[in-house]
Amino acid sequence: MSCSGILTAFSRLTIYNRSNPIRNISTNTIPVFFRITDSLLAEPLKKKKKLDPAIVKQREERKKRKLEKLIKRLEKHAKQLKPVDEMEIPLKLIDERKIRLRQISPLSPEVIDERVLLQKEWAKYKLNQNLANIQKLDYIMYSQQRALDELKAVSEDLYNEAIQLDIRMLPHTTTGPVRTPPIENYDSPDGDYTDITRKFEGET
Amino acid sequence: MFRQSLRFCTGFSFSKAKALLQHDARWLATESANIKWDLMSAVCLERHPIISKPLNELEAKYQAMLNQIEYENSMKSDHEIRIELEKQLLQSQNQQNTEIDLDVVIKQTAQDFVDASEEEVKNFKFAPKITEADEKNVKTSLKRKLDKNLVLLVEQNVGNKTYWIPPQGLRSDGETLRQTAERVLSNICGQGLTVQFYGNAPIGVYKYRYPKDIRDQGLYGAKIFYFLAKYINGNVEETVKYQWLDKEELQAILPQGIHKSMSQFLIAD
Repeated sequence: MSCSGILTAFSRLTIYNRSNPIRNISTNTIPVFFRITDSLLAEPLKKKKKLDPAIVKQREERKKRKLEKLIKRLEKHAKQLKPVDEMEIPLKLIDERKIRLRQISPLSPEVIDERVLLQKEWAKYKLNQNLANIQKLDYIMYSQQRALDELKAVSEDLYNEAIQLDIRMLPHTTTGPVRTPPIENYDSPDGDYTDITRKFEGET
Repeated sequence: MFRQSLRFCTGFSFSKAKALLQHDARWLATESANIKWDLMSAVCLERHPIISKPLNELEAKYQAMLNQIEYENSMKSDHEIRIELEKQLLQSQNQQNTEIDLDVVIKQTAQDFVDASEEEVKNFKFAPKITEADEKNVKTSLKRKLDKNLVLLVEQNVGNKTYWIPPQGLRSDGETLRQTAERVLSNICGQGLTVQFYGNAPIGVYKYRYPKDIRDQGLYGAKIFYFLAKYINGNVEETVKYQWLDKEELQAILPQGIHKSMSQFLIAD
């Protein structure tokens, strides 16, 4: 290797390069002196496979038949009503009727009389209770009407305000009186929830 | 017969109410325009019963009869049949005096199950129906007389006397009566109470004449309009003198006229 060969090989390392002009690649120059090829990210389209029209027809038919079958199955079950368990006597009770019937001797006439009398007394009691309720409602309505009349006599405007509907009341919930008062600071034991609702065929 | 008597009674009370109203209307018509009234709102705050009332004698008797009829018409349950079977098994074993089969003994018998269940019920403690407040007769407590309607009364000055009455106050200009009632309640009892008012219309009224020296100044008297409200939660401020009272206690403590108009719309329990 000659001496000049070495020099040319290292000439790129020199800071001053008098012989060659500097090659700059920069995007800061205007106009930019280079261009980038656009990336296409795609491949040439494939040729569509041609299907035999007979096969296509067969496939469609199969689809149709499948749907028809489903519809038929649904229709079959539509005629079959869901059983109402409460209205049917369980088979078990019919089978074991002999074992399960209570052996109770017929009621004595005194007991029957007593029951009839008690029922009559109960009917009267409930009637009076009902009448008392209706009367109380009348009293309340009367009291309210009197209050509104008194208000109207003083100021018509206030009366009109008072007879407006109270929309805030409307989703009204109330929990009635219960048998025993709630226990304070009671942490109720955890329980499991198992859904035992029966699913019927053809049910969506 | 039943229906007739029902109709008769409602017709009677309706016509009575109507007659009374007509009487009132006539009286109102004669009321001259220059008479001036003070308008006031008052709040009847009710705590509804928490537990149901105990059955009375007839109700208990009827309930027992219904239960008996239900029992007579019912079929034996699985549990009852199991008890019978086990009884039979025990008898046959005793008769034969055979050695006791170990498997049968280890199994829980139906009687064991009954005993265990009864034990569990016995160990569970229900909250008492007669509370501590009942025993000590703490009238400011909401936990008294759980099966009754309680009404809030507050000690208030009217004129130069103090009365136990539902919270009441004068209406200021620009307020509807309902707004007055809400303001009065929160002014007197504090912000801690959550209540639900039953509608915009007053449910009752009580009016009275002022003494003569005030009447001479042009104000004839006051009309107090009562609003019904339901207690939801919260407490009355401790600085206020208040009581939660049932119907009999109300009658004893309320001024007679106010009690008369309030008893018309308060439901007896």
